[in-house]
Amino acid sequence: MAERRKYKKRFCKYCEAKVDFMDYKDVGALRFSLSERYKIMPRRLTGNCKRHQDMIATVIKRARAAALVPYTVTRKTVVTAPFENLR
Amino acid sequence: MRNYENLVIVKPTLTAEEIQASITAIEEVITSNGGEIAARDTMGMRKLAYPINKNERGYFYVIYYSIAPSAISEIERRFRINENLLRFVTIKYDTNREVAAWKQLVLKANKKASSPAEETKTREIEIAPEVEEVAEETAE
Repeated sequence: MAERRKYKKRFCKYCEAKVDFMDYKDVGALRFSLSERYKIMPRRLTGNCKRHQDMIATVIKRARAAALVPYTVTRKTVVTAPFENLR
Repeated sequence: MRNYENLVIVKPTLTAEEIQASITAIEEVITSNGGEIAARDTMGMRKLAYPINKNERGYFYVIYYSIAPSAISEIERRFRINENLLRFVTIKYDTNREVAAWKQLVLKANKKASSPAEETKTREIEIAPEVEEVAEETAE
């Protein structure tokens, strides 16, 4: 069991920082909850609480619609330094 | 009256004057429908995360405004007709918490608009010492 769990279950970082509202235009702040392939990281890996996970999910989806964050990263479109080129 | 935010992406193929003209046309759409523009935020020409209509770049512009909820459908209809826009995103700020956040965003945008020179100055100051340190290290 201990071997299977790659990520340690953690406290919610957003609760720690007392985040009440997230802005979808602030792409750097979304980085924590996105995987390398820009998938939304599940709660069991990041340790986010339900409330903040719901918030981050809507915010990431807004950012995707606004072309600030990609929907998918394929082998063709993969970038060496993600987020750097978006600024 | 409800608070809204609109992010529009203008085509990158237009010239600077044409972009300005299309932005004033967008604001005209909002004000003519009874909206009050609270703040504007120019994010400028940016690389898109994915190509839209074969465009790799786009001019990002954010408008914060308050308007009657019934007028939003008309505004979105006008935006859809507008061929200079690649994409628009309308966000509603409804709950107390969101309205408070909206006011913060408006303040931030207005500050940025009123003193763009100061911001760049502070950034330069922040960056400058690091550069010096690196230079010293390389000298040694």
